[in-house]
Amino acid sequence: MHIASSATDDNYLIGSKCQSCGAMAFPKRVICHKCLSDNVVEIPLSKRGKLASFVVAWAAPEGFQPPMMLGYIDLPEGVRVLSMVTGCEPSKDALKPGQEMELVFEELRTDQNRNNIVAFKFKPVTRRRES
Amino acid sequence: MREVVVAGVGVHKFGKFIDKSLKDLGRVALKNALDDAGLTAKDIQAAFFGNAYGGLITGQESVRGQTILLHSGISGIPVLNVENACASGSSAFREAWLSVACGLYDVALALGVEKLYCDNTPKTMAAIITSSDLEIVGDTGWSFPTWYALKARMYMREYGATQEHYAKVVVKNTKNGALNPHAQFHKPMTMEEVLESREVCYPLTLYMCSAIGDGAAAAVLCSKDIAQKLQKKPMVTVAASALTSATFQNDPKKPTAVGSTGYIAAKLAYEQAGVGPEDIDVIEIHDAFAPAELTAYEEIGLCGDGEGIRLIEEGKTEIGGEIPVNTSGGLASKGHPVGATGLAQIAEVVWQLRGEAGPRQIAGRNKRRGPVLGLTHNGGGTLEGDAAAMAVHILRRI
Repeated sequence: MHIASSATDDNYLIGSKCQSCGAMAFPKRVICHKCLSDNVVEIPLSKRGKLASFVVAWAAPEGFQPPMMLGYIDLPEGVRVLSMVTGCEPSKDALKPGQEMELVFEELRTDQNRNNIVAFKFKPVTRRRES
Repeated sequence: MREVVVAGVGVHKFGKFIDKSLKDLGRVALKNALDDAGLTAKDIQAAFFGNAYGGLITGQESVRGQTILLHSGISGIPVLNVENACASGSSAFREAWLSVACGLYDVALALGVEKLYCDNTPKTMAAIITSSDLEIVGDTGWSFPTWYALKARMYMREYGATQEHYAKVVVKNTKNGALNPHAQFHKPMTMEEVLESREVCYPLTLYMCSAIGDGAAAAVLCSKDIAQKLQKKPMVTVAASALTSATFQNDPKKPTAVGSTGYIAAKLAYEQAGVGPEDIDVIEIHDAFAPAELTAYEEIGLCGDGEGIRLIEEGKTEIGGEIPVNTSGGLASKGHPVGATGLAQIAEVVWQLRGEAGPRQIAGRNKRRGPVLGLTHNGGGTLEGDAAAMAVHILRRI
């Protein structure tokens, strides 16, 4: 993932695109998973996608607080991303497959050297009120 | 390649044994397998040791096989440590088969042992999560239940499966497990008990998830020449051994068994054995989480995409059904001591083919002849939304 380093910069996920056959991948690859070409370039991925499936986990690995939500988000580039889901109350009926989701970056934890570990998540797109 | 016979199988009961070490568990399974074969530790020429999390749970990260086997009187021979997550046991079995099939050795051992219960569930869970690509999923809060649940919800939406179908898998398997002295749990579960147990990750309830456990299982493999001198029991051979790994894929698609590791391994195994799914008499499936049993029916060709629902609805995979699956009780009853699981599946199929499964014994497709062919399906870890390692074996009574 790319974290913004200035006010004009942006946060986004980095995928890869094969220059030989066009196949897209996330996380980025150094070799194309379809044609095995190494002519692969990094590309920024769309920040919006559609929810393919989601779940609420009532038990979580250490460092995570249950209940927590995870989902598969299908991006328009043709990649399916596994991601934490945020921005709604954890419930098995909170979201609907096909629903539009958008990328957010959130602080996950602080490591032993007091560095902030940032993770990407997706949250449901809420309709903004027209002004 | 020459024909290889599974001369003996043995297990250490699956359960939670806080006071037993990997050595204690392994020794019992090994002795039972050697006794079953009519061989001794001195007869073993090569050994393949399956274990996944011994390093993380006990600290014994290296030379696990050598330490455990030396303790049981097996030393001075090639010992190979095999780690393939939940498919470690069947991967060790495959290596033992290969070493005899190619003619390098006449008698080889596959031993799978696991100690997962350490009275520290977060430690056990942290160990299990390492059977994935940690660089990708490590900071997502991912765990195996979430993976199976994400897949199960997509399957439900696409094919109309309900939580009741998944509960029915547990009801069937725990009914079988009640008849298996080696299982961790002997209580048959009702639909209500499964559905009303604690929600772990919808649609998964607690009893749809295989339990943490300890255990060991072993198989002694030998050439047919040697087996003919030994065996008083019906002879069971390895008709096929297929192992594959996950491929790069992360494109959005509807749930399908076609192209999955289970599908590919089963196809390879059927080709190798010269048989089809319609010929198999008994099957052990990797039901680490109940929904996986239905999709595994589809992977191994018992039915098409989405039709696993009908197989469980119609009782076709019960002990008295057309094609019994998980007569041992599956992972639902046995629990899942990872490195031992695949070899315990092999042991169950050998017992079924020999007619030694007691109250769990199946009649076979041809009731006069009894069961002839059995299949095991054992997946390990996950990558790219599929099993990282997948082993399918077909055994044949001759």
